[in-house]
Amino acid sequence: MKDSDVIVLDEPRLSVADQFYLPQVLVGLGTTMKHMFKVLSGTDIVIQYPEERREDMPVEQGGMLLRTYRGVHRLNKDEEGRVKCVACFMCSTACPARCIHIEAEESPWQDREKYPAKFDIDELRCIYCGMCEEACPVDAIELTSMYDIVGLTRQEMIFDKEKLLRIFDQTVEDEPM
Amino acid sequence: MPTITVDGKRIECKDRQMILQACLDAASPLPHYCYHPGLSIPASCRICLVEVEGLPKLVPSCQTPVRDGMIVHSTSPKAIANQKQVMEYLLVNHPLDCPVCDQAGECLLQDYSYQYGRSQSRFEEDKHKKPKKDVGLNVLLYNDRCIMCTRCVRFTREVSGTSELYVDGRGSKEEIDIFPGKPLDNKLSGNVVDLCPVGALLDKDFLFKQRVWLLKEAPSISPVDSGGENIWLHYNEGVIYRIKPRYNAQVNTWWISDDTRYSYKAVHDEKRLRGARRMQYGSQIDTSYSKAIEEADAGLRAIAKQNGEGSLYAMLSPMMACEEAYLLGKYIRSIDPQAVLVLGPVPSTGQNETFKHYISGKTTFTIQAEKVPNAAGIRRVIALLGGPTADLAGLADSANSKAGWIVGGYLSNWVTDQLKLPKGFKIIQDILPTTISDRADVLLPAAAWAEKDGCWENFAGKIQPFVAAIAPPEGTRREGDVYYQLLGRGGFYIADEVRAEMGEPFATVKLPDIHAQAPEPEFIEL
Ligand code: SF4
Ligand code: SF4
Ligand code: SF4
Ligand code: FES
Repeated sequence: MKDSDVIVLDEPRLSVADQFYLPQVLVGLGTTMKHMFKVLSGTDIVIQYPEERREDMPVEQGGMLLRTYRGVHRLNKDEEGRVKCVACFMCSTACPARCIHIEAEESPWQDREKYPAKFDIDELRCIYCGMCEEACPVDAIELTSMYDIVGLTRQEMIFDKEKLLRIFDQTVEDEPM
Repeated sequence: MPTITVDGKRIECKDRQMILQACLDAASPLPHYCYHPGLSIPASCRICLVEVEGLPKLVPSCQTPVRDGMIVHSTSPKAIANQKQVMEYLLVNHPLDCPVCDQAGECLLQDYSYQYGRSQSRFEEDKHKKPKKDVGLNVLLYNDRCIMCTRCVRFTREVSGTSELYVDGRGSKEEIDIFPGKPLDNKLSGNVVDLCPVGALLDKDFLFKQRVWLLKEAPSISPVDSGGENIWLHYNEGVIYRIKPRYNAQVNTWWISDDTRYSYKAVHDEKRLRGARRMQYGSQIDTSYSKAIEEADAGLRAIAKQNGEGSLYAMLSPMMACEEAYLLGKYIRSIDPQAVLVLGPVPSTGQNETFKHYISGKTTFTIQAEKVPNAAGIRRVIALLGGPTADLAGLADSANSKAGWIVGGYLSNWVTDQLKLPKGFKIIQDILPTTISDRADVLLPAAAWAEKDGCWENFAGKIQPFVAAIAPPEGTRREGDVYYQLLGRGGFYIADEVRAEMGEPFATVKLPDIHAQAPEPEFIEL
């Protein structure tokens, strides 16, 4: 790294008004009020999530098409139930968020050379662009339409191979390969 | 000097040079598979055929010497038709393995397919399938990926001189093989992997570890012997994955020994020392690194004061960079101007190993007997610093030496039964545990060569720099940084700065300009 590559940033100084905090609190309250009036006057729509979901509503009324939604990934299985992925690293190379981590190993099967011993996707870093799906030469990775994934820790949101294969089992009926 | 014109570009050549080599030297390469500047020329792959004005047929550029005023076309319709056809034939039986092939990304077959080939295969028959074969200790052969360029066969004959590989069969049955019970196990065997233009010969050690385009590279020097082989360290995210030879006409040419190739393993050894330790009431306890440095400094100063001049010594390891040895020498002499500087143990196998051409018997490659990279450099630094010096035996016998700074850094155990060190206060700086490291009064875990900058002098007096590929692991510090702190110099160790201070011949040691800008990749329209 050259010196010219380093950008030195100073923290912006707080003005006197900022230092009292109260004006900022009022500005924040103002935003809340603005939205409140918008909802009351009917320009903003409120959905009682999770009882109401956007995929159940018509698109014209703010609903969404699940068919084209890019949600959490799944790792597809072949006819024998083995992970389809050949650990070529194309997806992790294409990934702009660098959130796919693969460790390749010699596969335990006769007809295949290489397979992923580890396959982790950091679902929090992922930007759900679908590049991995686009890059995969064997259609092993796909984005499902599942979007309501939760976790209590960051660690939980790093999905490993087993979890990604489980998502395949969960979604394969509604969304065949 | 003859001048030729290749595709409209004028190229100056040496006398009797081949067209292809002249083009390679002028950085406008022609496609080639079987040609390798370090091997004989069979002209068998035929992708390099070019049209030469005045000659009726296409000629192999790898085997046609230049003539002044020659006009060569590699992009004429005839030449292009040949390139397309060669590519098509090579791919007839080639599996579509690139996603699982370790060569992908540095494969000439891929590159030339893209540049000279066609995008669709017209072959409708079933492809030949050949099983992969274990041909040696370090090498795996995927026969169906082989394009029969015979570079590997020529290497085992002409460089290693061991002739383990040969061509079996004819035509589409042709394949590379070993003789029964005679695996490819010479000490240069790893080079066939680098040579192979495709993914037919692969390194078992690197197999499936990484895709090559993820690797970054740092120029370095072999740490296993005094030959000073030039290498690339290929690493990614703080892990070194493999070592590849770096061409240097004067030292190792295109090749490296297998010991060099796998020497990076010591860097990632689980047993690496981490976390400074110091002796308290006869047993070693963990301590913070800065505390340990203070303790070492205070200990040395107290002993020097008590015993007068000449009571300190420093054992400079032949694994250290010259710059580090210089700094340590400066430091110890700043406390005790008569401190003794000693060169650490220099293990040797006693005899150089040479490899010979299978027919002419000319020596092609030598592995040095001296199994450390920088004994010569350390001797030079000791001479540069002047003052008292001794050999290891003399040091142990001298009654004067009361406290010492001992540097290890060897890639394997270096403390033999013969090694005798003076009794008393010892500061040990090392990377791997030895029988003396747990008896050190202060133990300072250090950095391996791949984790720091510096220079080494090889057996022939050539001083060559190397640069860090990765950061030292947690709980360790570069020797140079420790000495900087002890000498009260601000900041971190910078090898160039120290070299400039050391004067000639070190001051002019520079990395060869390797970071020539690679051309921007072309935008691919799909
Ligand atoms: S691109 Fe597909 S086959 Fe390749 S590593 Fe990713 S999921 Fe596996
Ligand atoms: S040898 Fe080259 S073309 Fe053949 S599978 Fe390997 S990378 Fe692909
Ligand atoms: S194994 Fe590689 S180097 Fe040897 S003949 Fe085949 S392609 Fe050439
Ligand atoms: S490189 Fe000339 S024929 Fe192979």
